Amino acid sequence: MKIGVYFCNCASNISDKVDSQRVRAVVGSLEDVAYFKTNELMCSEDGKKFLHDDILEERPDRIVIAACSPRDHEKTFMRVLSGAEMNPYLMQMVNIREQVAWVTEGVGRASTKASSLIKGAVSRVRFHKPLHRKSIDMSPDVMVIGAGPAGLKAALTIAETGRKVTLVEKRPVIGGQPALYEEVFPNLECAPCMLEPILNDVLHGEYAGNIELLTLSEVVELNGFYGNFIAKIRKTPRYADLNQCIGCGDCIGVCPVDVKNEFNNGMDNRKAISLSFAGALPNVPFIDMKACLRAKGEDCRLCEQACPLGEGIIRYDDEETIVERHVGAVIVAVGASLFDAGLIPKLGAGTVADVYTSFEFERLLSSTGPTGGKLRTRSGRTPETIAIVHCVGSLDSNHNEHCSGICCLNAFKFNVMIEHRLPGIQIHHLYKELVYPGKEEYALYQRALSNPNAVFTRYSDIDTIEITSTGDCIGIKTGLPETGVIRADMVVLCPAVVPSKDIGELSRVLDITEDMYGFFEELHGRLDSVRTKVRGIYISGACQSPVNIAQAVNQGQAAAGYVLSGLIAGKQLEIEPLTASVDKDRCSGCRVCLFLCPYKAVFLDAETQRPSVNEVLCQGCGICVAACPSGAMSSNHFTNDAIFAEIEGVLK
Amino acid sequence: MNTKPKLGMYWAASCGGCEVALVNINEKILDVAANFDFCFCPCLLDTKKKDIEEFADGEIAVTFFNGAIRTEENEEMARLLRRKSQVLIAFGSCSYEGCIPGLSNMHTMAAHFKSIYIDNPTVDNPNGIVPKPQTQVPEGTLTIPAFYERVRTLSQVVEVDYSIPGCPPESGQVWHVIEELIKGAPLPPKGSILGAGSSTVCRECPRDKTHRKVSRFYRTYEIIPAPEPCLISQGVICMGIATADGCGALCPKVNMPCIGCYGPPEGVLDQGAKMIAVLGSMIDAGERKGLSEDEMARRVDLILDSIPDYSGTFYKFSLAGSILGGRRP
Repeated sequence: MKIGVYFCNCASNISDKVDSQRVRAVVGSLEDVAYFKTNELMCSEDGKKFLHDDILEERPDRIVIAACSPRDHEKTFMRVLSGAEMNPYLMQMVNIREQVAWVTEGVGRASTKASSLIKGAVSRVRFHKPLHRKSIDMSPDVMVIGAGPAGLKAALTIAETGRKVTLVEKRPVIGGQPALYEEVFPNLECAPCMLEPILNDVLHGEYAGNIELLTLSEVVELNGFYGNFIAKIRKTPRYADLNQCIGCGDCIGVCPVDVKNEFNNGMDNRKAISLSFAGALPNVPFIDMKACLRAKGEDCRLCEQACPLGEGIIRYDDEETIVERHVGAVIVAVGASLFDAGLIPKLGAGTVADVYTSFEFERLLSSTGPTGGKLRTRSGRTPETIAIVHCVGSLDSNHNEHCSGICCLNAFKFNVMIEHRLPGIQIHHLYKELVYPGKEEYALYQRALSNPNAVFTRYSDIDTIEITSTGDCIGIKTGLPETGVIRADMVVLCPAVVPSKDIGELSRVLDITEDMYGFFEELHGRLDSVRTKVRGIYISGACQSPVNIAQAVNQGQAAAGYVLSGLIAGKQLEIEPLTASVDKDRCSGCRVCLFLCPYKAVFLDAETQRPSVNEVLCQGCGICVAACPSGAMSSNHFTNDAIFAEIEGVLK
Repeated sequence: MNTKPKLGMYWAASCGGCEVALVNINEKILDVAANFDFCFCPCLLDTKKKDIEEFADGEIAVTFFNGAIRTEENEEMARLLRRKSQVLIAFGSCSYEGCIPGLSNMHTMAAHFKSIYIDNPTVDNPNGIVPKPQTQVPEGTLTIPAFYERVRTLSQVVEVDYSIPGCPPESGQVWHVIEELIKGAPLPPKGSILGAGSSTVCRECPRDKTHRKVSRFYRTYEIIPAPEPCLISQGVICMGIATADGCGALCPKVNMPCIGCYGPPEGVLDQGAKMIAVLGSMIDAGERKGLSEDEMARRVDLILDSIPDYSGTFYKFSLAGSILGGRRP
């Protein structure tokens, strides 16, 4: 075997510390090392040309390049090898810059250390085998789960490139949480107006034809892998024709059944056939079949009879169906929930009338809400004092340690909106910390702070706060001697943003992981917050971490970016050959590997009852190789033989 | 003169179980006698060391060497038999990987002598006499083989051609090897493991391997495992998952965990380390939501506390031949 060693001076970065002559004296005489050459700067155009021409002239079987970190230039040199008709995996890089020249004292010691590392590489590179990238067909289409701001923007961006998007939404309506708000921070923009163009684009815009919207639907199964997922989606019937219905609402008034309206958190009732809320899109009612008289065996047809378009629009015979879609990637944007303020009983949520959560208060402020936007106590009085409690269940080791980052701004928004509606009303802010990051948010804080009728009081621990009914109003004990008992007509609790209940089930279906807080776990919190460990499944918006609308939309766009750059129509998916594989002869079928793979790349072959590695999903991390108790798993390029040879080479 | 090829069997630091395993091939021992000149086996035959010394080098065709190298005498016999044998086979776990004698590598020779000859409640030794290679008595000098500081495997002392694992090797497997020799089958590559499968005990074990998460471990006296599910999934440390197959999964089939006597499967360097890696993947520390790293570590420690004896559990048979080889003084 002919092994060539190249030593890069890296201008003087390496040669100042590592003496190539001393290294040559050690390495040049090793078995099979045919030559040892130095170069001034291998990654430069001249350097690459030197390497290219030299490989063609010397025709070595293996190459060792002692230079910088492989993170810097391994790919550069691999390309040079490919260009010089040499398999790029027959090269081993040795990092003698970051790991030697920059950190080792003294030329003598640095040269000895560099020699040892190169000896290891020479021993190891013998075991390198030529590896080849493979490629497979892939679908450029995408499934987006969740039609809130993040999911909608992701779906639109992808649809605009001509790809098909299946947009799966559990609710009968799209738009997510902001669709239920009147105004949004920091500029008190009208939320429905802000969302309208996006919702419209999704429903009727130029690229709407590329978006298949499945409302009242949930993903129940996902199989396959990046480029080739098969999703099974359960569609609960709407019992109304989404295409023909004109949304006049005539069917709703005649419905004899009242049920609690979940879109207003049960603060009022809706009919069994309902439009969710005024202005909800798609503008087509749905029948809540659990509540409908027909489910109780009665042959009520009032809604059908009320329809001005006649029969066939309301369709009682619709049934639940499971549909299958073939997609290349999945974007999960299912949002989050609010912390259950009832878990801190002294705050009176659900027990003291006129104590509301921030979501309920959003609905009270909303013109489509239970009071049409009027602020009234349950007894119908106009409130004179409203207290807003920040940090409910957040910044608290008993509940959630995280700051949700949006509740303070919501509270300031409430302050301004309350003042608009009822000028001169007293507003008490009770907070643990105040948080208002961002370029526009400070102005909103100032607006709330400059309200002459607003009082800001800092409490130390939510447990010191006790909210009770005092007959005609509410008493808030703060535990602070200087504040005493605050009297208010309404109290708004701002609970932490927490993972929604459904995340556990969805993570099981999609086989993606949850983090220690219960949000979906990202690949990297700073650099890769929309990728998961499963290639081709992306997470966006509040299901990954508490976010505001802008952040959610950005994440949706980021996920769309990954899809657009990775899944390109007509292009095949290139697969890195550094993957694991199973020797079926050695495998005992113990299944340890199946539970370990963080990329879900190992699966059980139903026929042989032995695991197989999906080369598309495998990232070559080697966890299964290390754990495989029968020595049946091996990893291309990182074989036991190569690793032990490298260790021996370094130590000998 | 006997022209049949010579077959030998020797015991070094061993219990005699390997010889029992050989004769457990029952009437087939007659085939052995018909095809070989069974020339040496101190447990069964009367030939002596001097008889072997008189053989020409390489005169013995095949020697089954069982037992670990504990004493000077063990080493001397190993070297002698290596010289006299064309093929030297490490027979059984002791010579292959150290086995139970190898566990003594967790302690020093001095500590062993102290507990055996001085602290032992059934020994009366007021003068604190412990074995020494040479002892002066009025009649002269008494010499016994030196006791080594550490137990070594046969291959750590002499070149070994093949190994047959097991404590003891299963008689069926022993016969299989002998049968191949009788047939004159071509020899496998030097260093091969004979009389074992290519995988692990799990392959031969009929238990259900679907569920593989463990939240605590049980010692065998603490639990009567259910007959169907995998023993590990029931919290019993069954070494079968990291042990070469070939025994027929005898222990798990009778509701006892495999203790690892067939050693590491081919391609695995260190059976105990492998087992620890595997268990690491099976430990279920419960819901991690909201737990700090310290709490997680405490939970894992709590589970690990239910494993009483790491070396005796994971390295019962393979300690002397393992990467660490025992406790370093």
